[in-house]
Amino acid sequence: MDPGDDWLVESLRLYQDFYAFDLSGATRVLEWIDDKVFVAGYESLKKNEILHLKLPLRLSVKENKGLFPERDFKVRHGGFSDRSIFDLKHVPHTRLLVTSGLPGCYLQVWQVAEDSDVIKAVSTIAVHEKEESLWPRVAVFSTLAPGVLHGARLRSLQVVDLESRKTTYTSDVSDSEELSSLQVLDADTFAFCCASGRLGLVDTRQKWAPLENRSPGPGSGGERWCAEVGSWGQGPGPSIASLGSDGRLCLLDPRDLCHPVSSVQCPVSVPSPDPELLRVTWAPGLKNCLAISGFDGTVQVYDATSWDGTRSQDGTRSQVEPLFTHRGHIFLDGNGMDPAPLVTTHTWHPCRPRTLLSATNDASLHVWDWVDLCAPR
Amino acid sequence: MPEIRVTPLGAGQDVGRSCILVSIAGKNVMLDCGMHMGFNDDRRFPDFSYITQNGRLTDFLDCVIISHFHLDHCGALPYFSEMVGYDGPIYMTHPTQAICPILLEDYRKIAVDKKGEANFFTSQMIKDCMKKVVAVHLHQTVQVDDELEIKAYYAGHVLGAAMFQIKVGSESVVYTGDYNMTPDRHLGAAWIDKCRPNLLITESTYATTIRDSKRCRERDFLKKVHETVERGGKVLIPVFALGRAQELCILLETFWERMNLKVPIYFSTGLTEKANHYYKLFIPWTNQKIRKTFVQRNMFEFKHIKAFDRAFADNPGPMVVFATPGMLHAGQSLQIFRKWAGNEKNMVIMPGYCVQGTVGHKILSGQRKLEMEGRQLEVKMQVEYMSFSAHADAKGIMQLVGQAEPESVLLVHGEAKKMEFLKQKIEQELRVNCYMPANGETVTLPTSPSIPVGISLGLLKREMAQGLLPEAKKPRLLHGTLIMKDSNFRLVSSEQALKELGLAEHQLRFTCRVHLHDTRKEQETALRVYSHLKSVLKDHCVQHLPDGSVTVESVLLQAAAPSEDPGTKVLLVSWTYQDEELGSFLTSLLKKGLPQAPS
Repeated sequence: MDPGDDWLVESLRLYQDFYAFDLSGATRVLEWIDDKVFVAGYESLKKNEILHLKLPLRLSVKENKGLFPERDFKVRHGGFSDRSIFDLKHVPHTRLLVTSGLPGCYLQVWQVAEDSDVIKAVSTIAVHEKEESLWPRVAVFSTLAPGVLHGARLRSLQVVDLESRKTTYTSDVSDSEELSSLQVLDADTFAFCCASGRLGLVDTRQKWAPLENRSPGPGSGGERWCAEVGSWGQGPGPSIASLGSDGRLCLLDPRDLCHPVSSVQCPVSVPSPDPELLRVTWAPGLKNCLAISGFDGTVQVYDATSWDGTRSQDGTRSQVEPLFTHRGHIFLDGNGMDPAPLVTTHTWHPCRPRTLLSATNDASLHVWDWVDLCAPR
Repeated sequence: MPEIRVTPLGAGQDVGRSCILVSIAGKNVMLDCGMHMGFNDDRRFPDFSYITQNGRLTDFLDCVIISHFHLDHCGALPYFSEMVGYDGPIYMTHPTQAICPILLEDYRKIAVDKKGEANFFTSQMIKDCMKKVVAVHLHQTVQVDDELEIKAYYAGHVLGAAMFQIKVGSESVVYTGDYNMTPDRHLGAAWIDKCRPNLLITESTYATTIRDSKRCRERDFLKKVHETVERGGKVLIPVFALGRAQELCILLETFWERMNLKVPIYFSTGLTEKANHYYKLFIPWTNQKIRKTFVQRNMFEFKHIKAFDRAFADNPGPMVVFATPGMLHAGQSLQIFRKWAGNEKNMVIMPGYCVQGTVGHKILSGQRKLEMEGRQLEVKMQVEYMSFSAHADAKGIMQLVGQAEPESVLLVHGEAKKMEFLKQKIEQELRVNCYMPANGETVTLPTSPSIPVGISLGLLKREMAQGLLPEAKKPRLLHGTLIMKDSNFRLVSSEQALKELGLAEHQLRFTCRVHLHDTRKEQETALRVYSHLKSVLKDHCVQHLPDGSVTVESVLLQAAAPSEDPGTKVLLVSWTYQDEELGSFLTSLLKKGLPQAPS
């Protein structure tokens, strides 16, 4: 019997809802605006597509779901890019997008048309330092005058006003550490995570003086890290998650970045085949819930509620088990064939608490709503 | 100007009704003749007044082609042929011919009996219309007349669905109808060869979508059925006898086998015979190039699916029943529905579109209280609307265009503003022009048909004998006569043409007078001319004939003395019209005068 069919039968029990799509090109980007999501290709030798996709109506209606038969994505807008796109950010309250890719000498600004379905390139933003193989990370300050935060290294970090193109903030340091993620937290604050695991919170009203740690701990050599800040400014508790390519997951409190609140070992196959693809996200609708991906063809969901102070007596990290593992990409897409697919990115649905989207390097895109088998029925 | 003209017929900005007029090399073909199910008045029919304002359409159309049995592709056919008037041939595949009249009759019953409509076609009209049908096989070239030919290709989608190639001489158009590029459990995927038509016409209703995988759709269906039977409920699936039912049965059978389930699955009475009928239509249809996409067994003999008896509807416990008709508008499916509707543990799964006026349509619109035979029925059972029909999405369209390699693509039923991106994608990736007409708008495609001309061997040999070898980069002027007879073209020598036409050849000669100042006798003038030309024209054959005349190749020069002026001699230069160039050249040369003779 087809292992895909077997898994599908299993899936009846594991998922409420499950959708699988084949994009024309693999994506490393999943960016939301309301109920629509952007994906973008990252091939280096041919034209890539940026697509603005509307999710099937069934996923947004509250009542009478059963009366909506459509299960397809609708392509609301599309555009073409000559460069590969590794990051895409929407500028809130506008119809503009900013993308970053290789070669990393500039950021591209796009306009999503109102009267047609075209996404057009409109302008570029120069970067501080031109890199051959590093692409600048991007985040957007959604203030009255939107500002684009970007940089490939700490020393090339700057904020550029989108309209005037004036630089409104620079890190102004000589530190050449490579950045792995940037995240805007509020009108004046952003967080950065370096590939080495160094984390920092920056207040742009002051000259560069981040609240930071140095490295996550001893024995950290050669791993690559990424991080994400969860609900910012919503009370005490660990709201920063940091994921390493050796499978370590640390939760930190912004008030004390040097001492993680908990540090666990995720059961993943290490080392990750492409540590740049590592991603950790906080669930917007579930308390203390995280998802990780980038190690293989799975996405793992964890409940961190009981992790506080998790550490064994001998100081080693304790193993945790995921609440749920999405294996759909392995069974449905590859069908067990070599090479196995690798998840390039994932994201949580902003409104539906247990719905996630995940994409792989073989151009598949899944939308899945997992069943919490532990929860009372 | 050779051109292909395409006009999608229809009113307003609607989608969901297919009827396309194509004019190719002087032939007019109508592709599909669908009904718009959303309207109750004349708007549901295509606007045939585009073809002619009054009178029958027979003289204006060379043929009509129907792609498959869905009502939005054939629903207006009896109206078109019997009420507006058309007596020419209507082409469709064998399964379509068998199934169309059944669906048309079903639809007629709903419209007239249920909704009390007037001005609708009658049962007799359906029969008369079907008498005009000429059934075709896949990949069979059918001569409509001595210039127009058509060929059907496998389209997947539903039983009997075909894509059609329409060809006149070297110009051709391919119309896809509805098709899908991913095989399902009993129908393969569409396929076409690299026929390179001038134009490929395809529906774009789903062109801006990305389809959810077939497996996930099936999963959804299985989940709903499984959950219902697990909690002891009953599942009713109203189906058309000859359509999606087979696919769903295969799916459930596979799942029941895999899960070792014992819950009974039934086929309502009448469905089994129809299924056998379906099977008989199906097997010859599958013999063409699609066998290998699925299992070689009689997949319509089911182990877990049994014949239904109406008494079973009252049995306690879970069960699944497939019953006709598909829109819950009458018969067994409606009877079962009335028995089960009041229990919220039960479920009805509607696998397709329901026409207005049917119970199916009402419950799919969310209505929960129905009036039936004077009594109120409260619908507490779960209602699920599922779509199983396979259409090509953007990816599928790109694949098919890649297979056929047309010069241009035309997308119908889309809004141009909403498909600008797709148009760019098609034009860039496949390097073809992409057109998107609105309903009622005509697209004109210029074509450059190649006209083959045969050249006679004699003519070729004569040209070769001229001595100069043909040069690839230099054009050579060839004189010949083009004979157009019986749709073929030949280039022959003039003599041959005259012989074939039985005409005498006439020779045209031009003569020019050149005045030369010369006091000597004309014979000496001629000699002077001869010497001069001999020395100047090294490449030509210059001769002095015994009678005193000079020839340069075929041009004749003769000197004469006009009586009035002994100091002037007149040189008569004469040539045939073929040697115009040489004749003119010599005349100009001689007009410049002769070199002084040595005294």
